[in-house]
Amino acid sequence: MSWTIDEWFVVALARTIRPRETVFHGFGSPCAQVAMHVARRTHAPEMVLVEGAMYAINPDPPFIPPTSNDASLSRGAAYSMRFEEFFDAAVRGDVDRMFLSGGQIDVSGNTNVTAIGPAARPKVKLGGGGGGCNLSATIGHLTLWTTRHRSGQTLVEACDFITDIGHRTPLGTRAELGFTGCGPQWLVTELGVFDFPDGRARLVQLFPDVSLAEVRAVTGFPVEPAGDLRAVRPPSVAELAAVRSVDPLAVRRSEFSLRELARVFEPAAGQDCAC
Amino acid sequence: VSLQPPRDKLASLADAAALVSDGAVVALGGGLSARLPMALVRELIRQGRRGLHLVGSAHSIDVDLLVAAGAVRRCEESYVGFEQDLGLAPAYRRAAEEGSIEVAESCCATLLAQLRAAEMGVPFLPVRGVRGSDIAGLHPEYATITCPFTGETLIAVPALRPDFALLHAPCGDRYGNLHLEQPYVLDERFASASRTVIATVDELVSTDQVAASGVTIPAHLVTAVALAPFGAHPASCYPRYAYDRDHLREYVSAAQSGPDDLDKYLASYVYGGEDGYQAAVGADRLTALGDWSRSTAAWQEMFA
Repeated sequence: MSWTIDEWFVVALARTIRPRETVFHGFGSPCAQVAMHVARRTHAPEMVLVEGAMYAINPDPPFIPPTSNDASLSRGAAYSMRFEEFFDAAVRGDVDRMFLSGGQIDVSGNTNVTAIGPAARPKVKLGGGGGGCNLSATIGHLTLWTTRHRSGQTLVEACDFITDIGHRTPLGTRAELGFTGCGPQWLVTELGVFDFPDGRARLVQLFPDVSLAEVRAVTGFPVEPAGDLRAVRPPSVAELAAVRSVDPLAVRRSEFSLRELARVFEPAAGQDCAC
Repeated sequence: VSLQPPRDKLASLADAAALVSDGAVVALGGGLSARLPMALVRELIRQGRRGLHLVGSAHSIDVDLLVAAGAVRRCEESYVGFEQDLGLAPAYRRAAEEGSIEVAESCCATLLAQLRAAEMGVPFLPVRGVRGSDIAGLHPEYATITCPFTGETLIAVPALRPDFALLHAPCGDRYGNLHLEQPYVLDERFASASRTVIATVDELVSTDQVAASGVTIPAHLVTAVALAPFGAHPASCYPRYAYDRDHLREYVSAAQSGPDDLDKYLASYVYGGEDGYQAAVGADRLTALGDWSRSTAAWQEMFA
C-alpha cells in the first residue's frame, strides 16, 4: 500500500476535527471539504458537517465536484440551511470549527485572501474572503491550511492585507476585539503541522520527507519547533479508503503543484500497513 | 416604494434589462457556479450599460464579464473568482490592479446584515466581526459603536438597498412568483431589500404549477419577469441543468489572454443575442447539461 501527499494532507486536516463538532468549510476548498467527509466516516461519525456553499447538513455526496455549490454536494442531506441560517449559527457561536486558507498566512494566523501588495493598487488581486472576516471572529476554532508553503510566499511574518482574523492584529488581540471564537488552533501545510500556543505558530509535526531546515528556508517567520517535534502519523487504511471513496474525481489534487503530487509514501520498513 | 400589485409583468429580456439605469447599484443573485443571472448580464452588455455598482456574495463569470465589457464602476462582493478549479477572475483582477474599478470587497455576513437592515427599515445593524480586518478600511461608511446594553464595541454597517436585483429562477409565472432550488444564496434577501426586482426564468409556468413547486420569491416583490431559457448558463440552474465547466474554462482562457480574445468571446457569445448565444454554445451541449439526472455515473462523468 502506498499513498500520495494529497491523501495524507487531507487526513492530517481531518484529524483536526473533534468528535461531535459542528464543522464548516468555505468554497474553493476541496482538501478541507474531503477532510470533513473523511472525519465523519472515520473518527467523528457524530459530527455535524455543514457542506460549504450548499449549507447542506450531513450530506453523502456521490463525488466531490470541482465547484462548491453543485447540487451533488447536498445529496443525502435531509436539510440544507439557508445562507442566513448558517451565518446566524456561526455568529451566535453554534459552529465549532471552520477551515480557512489564504494566499498569505502570518505568524499570528491572520490570513490574506484579498490582495498582495497595497490594497488600493494591488500587485495581485486575489478572489476575496467570502464570509471570513466575520466567521473568523465567532467560530469556535479555526483549522488553517495551505498547500503552497514551499513557494516561500505563503507563510509570512505579517500579511499585506488582513482579511480573516487570527490571534492578534495591529488593532489588538481577539479578546481586545471582543471576539467570541478562539481563533486558529492548527495550521496544516504540505510540509508539516503548526499549532498556536500563546497565539504564535509553532511547528509540531513534519512530513517524513521534509526537514526542519527546508521548512525554515520557506517560512517568513522564525520557525520555533516544539520540543517533541514528530513525524505526521501515517494514514490508516480506513482513512485512506475514506479519502478515495469520498473524492473519486481527485478534486483535492487541484490544490497542489505537480512537484508535490509526485510525493509518494510507503509504510515504514517492518510495518505491514500504516494502521 | 410599496409592494407590487398583482399584474402581468411578463417583459422581453431587452425591456426587462432596460429598466436598469447607468450608475445603478445592482445586486446579482445566485453565486459562484449556481443560478447567476447571466441572460440579464449579457443583455446589459448588449445595451452598453456603464458605471454599475455591483453587489453580491461570491460571484464569478457574471461580475467578470460585466467588468470585461466596461460596464462596472465599483465592485462590492465577498469574492469574485473561479474557485480552485479555474482560479482568479481575469478581467476583475486586471481592472483592480490597474485601478480602473473601485473594489470595496465585502463579506457575506456583513452584506447579509446590511440587507436585513434595509428589509427591516432600520438604518443599520451591528456585526461582531470585521474589527481588526483590513476589510473595514475599504468601507469608510462603517462605524464603531458601543452597545447601549452590554457596553460591547461592535461595527455598525448601514442598510443596503440596491436599486435593482437581478435574479434567475428555473421557473416562475407571469406575475413574478418564482420557484428556486437551493442554494438560494442571497436571492430572498435581495428580493425584499431592493427597490426593483428583475427576474428571468428558464420556463414560464402557471401560478398553480409554481405554487405546487413552492414559491420561494413572491410576485409582490417582483417588478418584471422575462423568459430566458438557459438564462443562467454557463452557471447551473438545477433541476434543469448543471454548470458548464468547459464553457467557463473557455471564458477564463479568453479573458486571461487579453482584450483581443475577450472581444472574440463577446462577439461569439454576447453580441448576437440570446438565440445567438444558445446557437454558439450548441443545442446538443446545452441538452447534455441536463444529463446529470440520468444517473450518478452520468453526473460524475460531467465533471471528470
